[in-house]
Amino acid sequence: MKVELVNIGKKYEGRESFTIRNIDLVIESNQFCVILGPSGCGKSTLLRMIAGLNSITEGDLLFDGKRMNRVEPKDREIAMVFQSYALYPHMTVYENMAFSLKMAKERKTLIHERVLEAAKTLQIEEYLYSKPSEISGGQRQRVALGRAMVRKPAVFLMDEPLSNLDAKLREHMRVELVRLHQALNTTSIYVTHDQTEAMTMADIIVLLDQGKVQQVGAPSEFYQEPANLFVAGFIGSPTMNIFNGRIENGLFRTENDLILVEPNEEDARKLKDYEGKEVCMGIRSERFNAGKAEKNGITVNIDVIEMLGKEQLLYCKFPDGQEVVISEPGHFEYGLNEDHNFNFDVDGLHFFDAETTMRI
Amino acid sequence: MSRKKTKNDALYLSDRQPLTTAKLISLIISYILLIFWAFVILWPLAQIVMSSFNGNQGSYISIGGEYKFSLKHFTYLFNETYFWNWVLNTIVVAVATALLTLLIVSFTGYAYSRFRFSGRKASLMTIMLLQTVPTFAGITAFYTLHSIVAAVIPGFTRQLFLILIYAGGGIASNTFILKGYIDGVSTELDDAARIDGCGNLQVYRLIIMPIARPMLAIIALWSFIGPFLDYMMPSILLNDPKSYTLATGLHTLINDQYNMQQPAFAAGGLLTAIPIVILFIALQKELVSGLSSGAVKG
Repeated sequence: MKVELVNIGKKYEGRESFTIRNIDLVIESNQFCVILGPSGCGKSTLLRMIAGLNSITEGDLLFDGKRMNRVEPKDREIAMVFQSYALYPHMTVYENMAFSLKMAKERKTLIHERVLEAAKTLQIEEYLYSKPSEISGGQRQRVALGRAMVRKPAVFLMDEPLSNLDAKLREHMRVELVRLHQALNTTSIYVTHDQTEAMTMADIIVLLDQGKVQQVGAPSEFYQEPANLFVAGFIGSPTMNIFNGRIENGLFRTENDLILVEPNEEDARKLKDYEGKEVCMGIRSERFNAGKAEKNGITVNIDVIEMLGKEQLLYCKFPDGQEVVISEPGHFEYGLNEDHNFNFDVDGLHFFDAETTMRI
Repeated sequence: MSRKKTKNDALYLSDRQPLTTAKLISLIISYILLIFWAFVILWPLAQIVMSSFNGNQGSYISIGGEYKFSLKHFTYLFNETYFWNWVLNTIVVAVATALLTLLIVSFTGYAYSRFRFSGRKASLMTIMLLQTVPTFAGITAFYTLHSIVAAVIPGFTRQLFLILIYAGGGIASNTFILKGYIDGVSTELDDAARIDGCGNLQVYRLIIMPIARPMLAIIALWSFIGPFLDYMMPSILLNDPKSYTLATGLHTLINDQYNMQQPAFAAGGLLTAIPIVILFIALQKELVSGLSSGAVKG
């Protein structure tokens, strides 16, 4: 089902301002959409509005072109997986999964069939007659998914479903969720604050901050072409290095003259209008080349080294104390408090308008 | 066997720090106090049990003297008084009170916990403050109210009115208790149930109520016990000895010299405990279980 949000806004009772406002979004049928954002950005509110658990203050919610604003949650052909799983503690796994169909007064044989089918897909057949308190966190997670699956929803909503699992299991479930999404042929909307989940699972990412959409697009776009400073800082780990400076004679120069960079041709063309203006330059840690070069080079002092095995993160300081993170292959040898030369890979630079924070 | 014992003796296995002399002394003192306290409570109870079976007791209970096992006080209670009427009255009042309280408190507790409405805080405070006024202070109002209602509905007996007073009296504090309990149940369960197709009442009946069962059991037990313990309201409100509840009825056995039958009173007191104990045993499973574990991550 195609989900459309037209100028949607939400204002809670007793609040001064809108929690989120002017959200326009189109999620095509069978897409896996991840709504990403820091805590308190309104992403859960948005999901709850799509689910019908919160009312929509303004704007329209359309499912396949039909307005859904006033439709009851149970009639929206949706299913939702909650962060806490929200399994009914007094019912067995089987009853939990059968509950929605029972409420819809489906035939017993059909209910049984659907529950067994879902249990088989999720490999929870053994636990069908256990109570939620008797099974582990990962299994509860599967039951929660199963409960959503038996409804055969047209839209699958998930609110940080993996945040209560340990790292290993989370990695495993990520893959399974994508597989499940493909098998079910549904539109999935997935809320998370974890950029790794967003990058690995999504067809389309919606990044929210302060109640506004910051960028919509494919995961690679977020990494390669962040739309503004917020996106640049939010996506990617370690965080992108951002330097404040100005354009002088087509060169990027920081206030203290420690960095002097000549952009590549394409960037230079875009930066023409910014001659003499303040801009921010961003570069990801892996776009530094080790060694001394004629131009675009820096000399920094290594403060902390984080060894990750295949690569190492060097937390370095400029002479004036400004910090920069550089990642280099793990087999290079670096020592603390050593001075080293690096140079910028000019094809990996991002320029932002310092005033509007938008990408140039 | 003895080897095992010495091994255990050698190892100090308790999680607590070993006792010092000062701690040992204070421990002994606490035990003495507790034993004294237990004695103060248990000795009168033992006297009641013993006197009710002692055939040598006259109209007054006297401590000491000969003991002769007999059931004559029970026979007196069953044959010479309205004891069975009182039992039936009390059980009817108690069951009705418990059911009515549960029903009303279910609605109020759920509403106060889950819904935001204007006047929510104010009304909650108001009923709590009204609770500080003793029920007995409203006695004249109760009389008036009863005569007004009874004029319209002839079947509205004083016993029915008593049920309303008991149930009404319990609503405020029980609403607080149940609200607190339901507050602890994740609202995501409500959301899940709503998506699964439940309306408000179904959310309560199918999801919240089963989870809140331990607390509902306690509320039911308390409301059930109330009419067994209260002497004041029925003695003033009810005018026919046949319509008395147990506490009031039994009181007639000790409040004047002509009817004085203290051992029968003791026997009646003993029997009063039986229905309460039965209910307590029946609800025990609910009282101790923590059903809400496993609802959310745990």
